Amino acid sequence: MAHVVSPLDQPSNYKDSQARVDRQKQNELLARSTTLYIGNLSFYTTEEQIYEVFAKCACPEDGGGIKRIIMGLDRNTRTPCGFCFVEFYTHAEALACLRYVSGSKLDERIIRCDLDLGYKEGRQFGRGKSGGQVRDEHRQDYDPGRGGWGAQAQRLEIERRREVEERYADAQDGPGAVAGGGGDWKQQESAPAEKSLKRGRSPEDEGDGRDGDGREVCILQNPTLSLLTIKLQGLRQRMDDDIETDRM
Amino acid sequence: MSYNQQGRGGSYRKRYNRDRDDYDDRRPIETPDDKLKANIIKYGEVDPVEELERLEEQIRNHMPRNIPNLAEALLVSVTEQPYKIPFYAALIRLLHNPSDISTSEEQTLGRLILEEFWRGFQAYLDKVAWRETRLCVQFFAHLTVAKVISVDSMITMLRSFTAVLDEFGVSHGRAKKAALCAGDGLIIAGPSIHAHAPNVAQEIIEAIQNYTDTTTHQKWLVSPLSPICNKESPTENHVELLDALLNALTTLRDTSFEDSAICVPQPYNVYPTLDSSATRPYDLPLVLVPPEAVEMDSDSDEDVQVKKEEWPEYFIRLFPNDVSPDYTTPAGYVIRAGLLDTVDIFEVNRKDCARLLLEYPKWCLPGTFKPKPGAPTTSEPVPGKDWQLESTVIETVLGTYFLLPEAPRKSIYYVTLITELCKLSPSTVGPAVGKSIRKIYNSLSDGMDVEVARRFAEWFAVHMSNFGFAWVWKEWIPDLSLTVQHPRRAFMRRAIEFEVRLAYHDRILKTLPETMQVPDAYVIAETAPSPAYEYEDPATPHHDAAQAVLNLLRGRARVEDVITHLEALKGTLETNDEANVDSLVRSVVVHSLLHIGSRSFSHFLNAIERYLQLLKNLSNGSISNTTNGANVDARADILSNAAAFWKHNRQMVGIVFDKFMQYQIVDPTDVVGWTFTNGISGVERGGPMSLSAFEWDLLRAALDKANGRVTIAKKKVIALKKEDDDMRARVKAKEENMEVDVEAKVESEAPSDNVQLSTATKALSSLTKEQKAVFARTLDGFTSTLIPTALSTHANPGAQTIVTQEGWANRANWGGEEWNAWETWAWYRQFCRAYSPYLRTYTHTLQAVSLSKLEGNTDVASEAFKMIWNITTGQEA
Repeated sequence: MAHVVSPLDQPSNYKDSQARVDRQKQNELLARSTTLYIGNLSFYTTEEQIYEVFAKCACPEDGGGIKRIIMGLDRNTRTPCGFCFVEFYTHAEALACLRYVSGSKLDERIIRCDLDLGYKEGRQFGRGKSGGQVRDEHRQDYDPGRGGWGAQAQRLEIERRREVEERYADAQDGPGAVAGGGGDWKQQESAPAEKSLKRGRSPEDEGDGRDGDGREVCILQNPTLSLLTIKLQGLRQRMDDDIETDRM
Repeated sequence: MSYNQQGRGGSYRKRYNRDRDDYDDRRPIETPDDKLKANIIKYGEVDPVEELERLEEQIRNHMPRNIPNLAEALLVSVTEQPYKIPFYAALIRLLHNPSDISTSEEQTLGRLILEEFWRGFQAYLDKVAWRETRLCVQFFAHLTVAKVISVDSMITMLRSFTAVLDEFGVSHGRAKKAALCAGDGLIIAGPSIHAHAPNVAQEIIEAIQNYTDTTTHQKWLVSPLSPICNKESPTENHVELLDALLNALTTLRDTSFEDSAICVPQPYNVYPTLDSSATRPYDLPLVLVPPEAVEMDSDSDEDVQVKKEEWPEYFIRLFPNDVSPDYTTPAGYVIRAGLLDTVDIFEVNRKDCARLLLEYPKWCLPGTFKPKPGAPTTSEPVPGKDWQLESTVIETVLGTYFLLPEAPRKSIYYVTLITELCKLSPSTVGPAVGKSIRKIYNSLSDGMDVEVARRFAEWFAVHMSNFGFAWVWKEWIPDLSLTVQHPRRAFMRRAIEFEVRLAYHDRILKTLPETMQVPDAYVIAETAPSPAYEYEDPATPHHDAAQAVLNLLRGRARVEDVITHLEALKGTLETNDEANVDSLVRSVVVHSLLHIGSRSFSHFLNAIERYLQLLKNLSNGSISNTTNGANVDARADILSNAAAFWKHNRQMVGIVFDKFMQYQIVDPTDVVGWTFTNGISGVERGGPMSLSAFEWDLLRAALDKANGRVTIAKKKVIALKKEDDDMRARVKAKEENMEVDVEAKVESEAPSDNVQLSTATKALSSLTKEQKAVFARTLDGFTSTLIPTALSTHANPGAQTIVTQEGWANRANWGGEEWNAWETWAWYRQFCRAYSPYLRTYTHTLQAVSLSKLEGNTDVASEAFKMIWNITTGQEA
């Protein structure tokens, strides 16, 4: 059904200009993706509000559901900075969000959904120079709506803000910082297989930390940063910035 | 923030992309054929009548001729833009005019395209693509009136659809769709058919009538307004699809189809009649609707889902007949059918769908809808028409959204489609939405189905969240005098609860008038939905013990250390002669764990994952022992503690239960069992057991989880089987032309795959068993709740009375318990119709396990219970 109108669940103009995987591979990944990038969130929107909206696209009867939500945080302040990832169990659910939810309001802001290649360790943090999202640094306009719902309720807003600011103070990085959300059903054997899998992370995560952003973490942890690595890092940061910009 | 602001910093991206080499998504080069095809599909954007002859000329002059391309364009146009079908028929009619260059023997261009088009139609029919098939039938019917297609062949085609209705044991879905094909065809081609063979219309009407006469019970089960007390479905305020069709057809027949022209656009009628001596009308080849078995034969891994049962479709009416057309009149039926198809087809793009719905009048006969306010009146309103477009559209969309047991598409689609409609034309769509809300709200006291009420609250909340939560709550203040469990009050509470989930407590509180803000109005919770940590207060028993555990968890202690600590705690408690020590330990652990996870959904997931082993041990009735089997009481304890921790936040109860199932801490059956013993309040208040929409959501989540697991396991088995088969085939192929030594290597591959396959098969059988158990547990729960025995401790006194006619008539005097009992009955009905494919699969087991205890009971409630069951499982025709 694509002759008369263009379906809303087509991958958007989002391009990963880092191109660590080639375009074809990217398309293949997107065609199976169960993860969405959600942008233009209010800084005060909670995971539960997000859950409430996106659960409406879940198909538990097909083995689906919301696997996890990863709130995007300011790298420095560890406070939400206006984006998140929502991961489902099935691709169809992610597509349903593009069709039915993207472009509607959540917490009184129009949100935008994009298919994502999949969460990788470290991506929960903003990549902008200030610690937040890059796209917000390109913003010329002041966006008062970001804080929720206007000046008239400022006292309430302050209260709400304090809660939000404290919420992720304990956010960690590194492997296992982000929960997996629970995998497929497994036969319960008498001998506990779970013990070895201390964290029960989803299998997709296993390889993720090693490439991509994982390398970035290594560079940052290296105490003797050569000029070259700093340069490389700057370049990568710029590339990351472009991903963020491309999304919007 | 308005919808028009779409702040984006695009310039940066553009500049950057220019010097990148990944600019590879250039559109394919458009050929002249492609261009023509696009023109055909896009035809009519400005003025359908004006553009018709221009398009005809374009097609005629296009060389070289590419008939398959033209037919393909037409197939797309007809099946994806049903509102344009009369005009495409007119186009084909024009193309049947002999062209200047053709000789008399040559087939006209129109005929060539039509013949090719027919092959496409045949392909749809072979695939049993019903919607496409039906839209092609509409197209053929128009061409029959335009005298391009022979009436006899059209009649034969319609008969091949009514033949389906006579098939033995035909499913409702198949019969319904076949009836719609025949009916749509007759509505449009009626004038020609009637003139040619006057008794054919009657024959088709009777065939459909005879079929619908057999569906009375099914209709009762899915009508949103049927009372539980008797088998009569009321006829007002809603209309069943096939009934509407039949009524429209009968009306047309009674006037010898003279009225067809005022219901169906016939743009081709302005052209002179085709000279039938020069061009013989086209005879549609004979068709046969493929048998039902073929429909289910698609054995691919996409189709492992249980096939959904199809039911009669009841559409709720919200407006009087002078505002929106009556579905049961010919004109009304045609308009509704067009809107329904548009809503269904454009599901892929709700924004375009909204636009097309509001442009719909363009394709209707002049005077059908009132002109837009302020727009120049181009045609006189037609008496008996002159409807309001927005009301008609909203009524149709909501009608589909409220179909029982479930809407054809995901609920949220209809919700956001209405949002888009409001965004396109707030001043005209807004009032239609407001009126709809009032109408549905009012009907809640007259037995509106609970599932409809649930979806109503869901739509209301999401809709309001898109429009600043601006609803005039004030007008419902008088209803605060109704009993708290009255459906209207239940709706207010639920809608507000959903709004709070989408926003936050204070935001929603501010939208309410003061009388509704106070706690004893029972409209909004007194405080924000915060956690309730049982050991918060230092004066609570075991506060210190809980604090110690909480501190361990907060400090992210290793799970082994926590287990050691808990074993020590258990020992201490036991020496202090505490009763129920195991239960106490579970309470401390669950409360503490949820406490550290209470900051957000992610914190909760992290907490579970860190202490998963402990939770699993607890669910087996132990602390450190990993080998015990499931312990039902321990699991009920875990669920009870979670529900107590989140007693002010029912969204979190649902989320926690879902993840407890996901991580296999509890099974779906445990959740069902818990729900039936802890349903609203019941036990906590010491009152009778009953279910509200919240408990229904928990049940549904558990049932869907069990079903979803079977689906995944089935897919896995099918995939592995296929792999296994392929490999065997490869081995065999190799064996046939290979030396012996290599063969041994291949042989060794095979068994390892079989281990995988056998594990998967074993998993599937465990999960199927669990699925059966979860349904049995649910049915059991309903039996004991609705048909309490003399021994039941929490029997609802209303359980028997509310199912009687007199009981229902007395509902103005019902108290909370009666409404609760009524709601529980209604959820039982929803359970049956929504899960009927599964219930049918397990009918005998379930009957033996859960219904046997009703054997011999002749009271009204038992009879009603069995009747609903029998209709569901097809044991009562």
